[in-house]
Amino acid sequence: MEKDDTGIRSDTGSKWRETFHVRGRFLTAIAIRIESERPDANFFVALDEKIKTNANLLIGAPIVLDLEAVPGFVDGTLLQNLIDAIRSRGLLLFGVQNASAEQRTVAEKAGLIPVLIGRDAPTHKVRAEASGPMRSVKRLENKVIRRHIRSGQMVVAERGDLTIIGSVASGAEVVASGNIHIYGTLRGRAIAGADGDENARIFCNKLEAELLAVAGLFKTSETIDPDLRSRNVQVFLEDETLRIERFL
Amino acid sequence: MTQLKAKAPLGKVIVITSGKGGVGKTTSAAAIAAALAKRGHKTVVIDFDVGLRNLDMIMGCERRVVFDFINVIQGEARLKQALIHDKRVETLWILPTSQTRDKDALTEEGVEKVLNELKEQFDYIICDSPAGIERGAQLAMYFADEAVVVTNPEVSSVRDSDRVLGLLASKTKRAEEEGTEVEAHVLLTRHDQRRIDAGEMMTVEDVLEILAVPLLGVIPESTAILRASNVGMPVVLDEPSAASRSYEAAVSRLLGEEVDPRAEREKKPGLFSRLFGASA
Ligand SMILES: Nc1ncnc2c1ncn2[C@@H]1O[C@H](COP(=O)(O)OP(=O)(O)O)[C@@H](O)[C@H]1O
Ligand SMILES: [Mg+2]
Repeated sequence: MEKDDTGIRSDTGSKWRETFHVRGRFLTAIAIRIESERPDANFFVALDEKIKTNANLLIGAPIVLDLEAVPGFVDGTLLQNLIDAIRSRGLLLFGVQNASAEQRTVAEKAGLIPVLIGRDAPTHKVRAEASGPMRSVKRLENKVIRRHIRSGQMVVAERGDLTIIGSVASGAEVVASGNIHIYGTLRGRAIAGADGDENARIFCNKLEAELLAVAGLFKTSETIDPDLRSRNVQVFLEDETLRIERFL
Repeated sequence: MTQLKAKAPLGKVIVITSGKGGVGKTTSAAAIAAALAKRGHKTVVIDFDVGLRNLDMIMGCERRVVFDFINVIQGEARLKQALIHDKRVETLWILPTSQTRDKDALTEEGVEKVLNELKEQFDYIICDSPAGIERGAQLAMYFADEAVVVTNPEVSSVRDSDRVLGLLASKTKRAEEEGTEVEAHVLLTRHDQRRIDAGEMMTVEDVLEILAVPLLGVIPESTAILRASNVGMPVVLDEPSAASRSYEAAVSRLLGEEVDPRAEREKKPGLFSRLFGASA
């Protein structure tokens, strides 16, 4: 089992401001990775064991099924049985990840949402922290990545800054609870202050972003001032607004 | 195994991949394999596109297929029975795929076994990948030593290629077991200067800036390709054309040779030397 961070985001477009106010929220989902094309009794014994030992991790958490290892698992009835069995244990199963086109169709029929997320967050540390006595102490863990982040990839710095020495492609996503520094072109999505830190900032050498977000407030390529395109900028919150400023 | 060469080749596996369909993977796999073989390297080109079977038509051997890659994987035929010897180039062989089986017939163990056997006999093993980023494409790249990412100068193709470069960096045997990366190159195909000048297509520089991997070559949009594929001829075996010269230059770079960019056809002098970083 592994843990992922996934973002649910929305806008505070000025047009809407009078009628309602929407805030982006990040939620932490647990992925249950299916390893066998026919989950049998052993699978459920193991699952029950996990629930017993990791109740605080599993119960009440949003859960997705990871189908990466079982490309042949496409039978709708089998999937429905699996969903029922998991839900009957009180787990909040809502989606699938790493599903093939065929699996997506089957999953959607069964009411599951296909989610697109990366697999970068380590579980063991989180688990240890959640149950250990040190739970209130958050150690900073800054991350430095020395490569390009390609389309479809996601990198998460759960407890600190994220520095990318390279570019972030269109269709790629970088997420940090702290600041994000990109020594390259940002063409994809950058989400800083993912746990709500309103002081977090995004810095990049060249702005071509699809999405910029700080503490849940975001702008998409359509709402980014065209004059800022291809510029060296920083992105931060000021008076509940997301601001993008050029470095001169 | 038969004794073939004194140097006991441990062949290099090169995957021709892209993400997107219709960009010129099969055309390029055929041309690259034929160009390597023409230079005396013992080469086999394998069709991983189970169910579509285009490679044997481009290679002009579709009527000679008896057993195929899938038969070998399933133990229904021996490798020797499935390999088709090209009639034009002595050192060129084709391993066709099945048109009737489905993709699930490809297994990781099966593919590995066949590739290992081929590596003992061939210098180069060229894998023509299916489109997409799912199982078939991942199996075609999994055992690769090098990758040629075929890209057209347009946004969706570049984005898919970028995605594939990400998979090459993580979902290959090299990445998973050895912690090394598959050496990747980009091959830009269907390059059309008029459409680029008209702003309808991306420039080579723009593509390279995004993909950030070395450029192997630029293949022009060319009727020579269509003509050659209609008669089942890899373009480099047909009469010389701008496209065949570009493929030859790309193969020279693949072999690590310095290529004088002036040898390649191009309207704008200077462009290629800049792109390939040749000394002025
Ligand atoms: N450089 C080129 N100029 C013109 N047509 C090309 C060129 N490269 C490929 N084609 C054509 O594009 C089509 C798709 O090529 P193919 O090699 O089958 O792509 P893929 O294997 O990526 O699906 C074919 O009809 C082929 O003849
Ligand atoms: Mg093809």
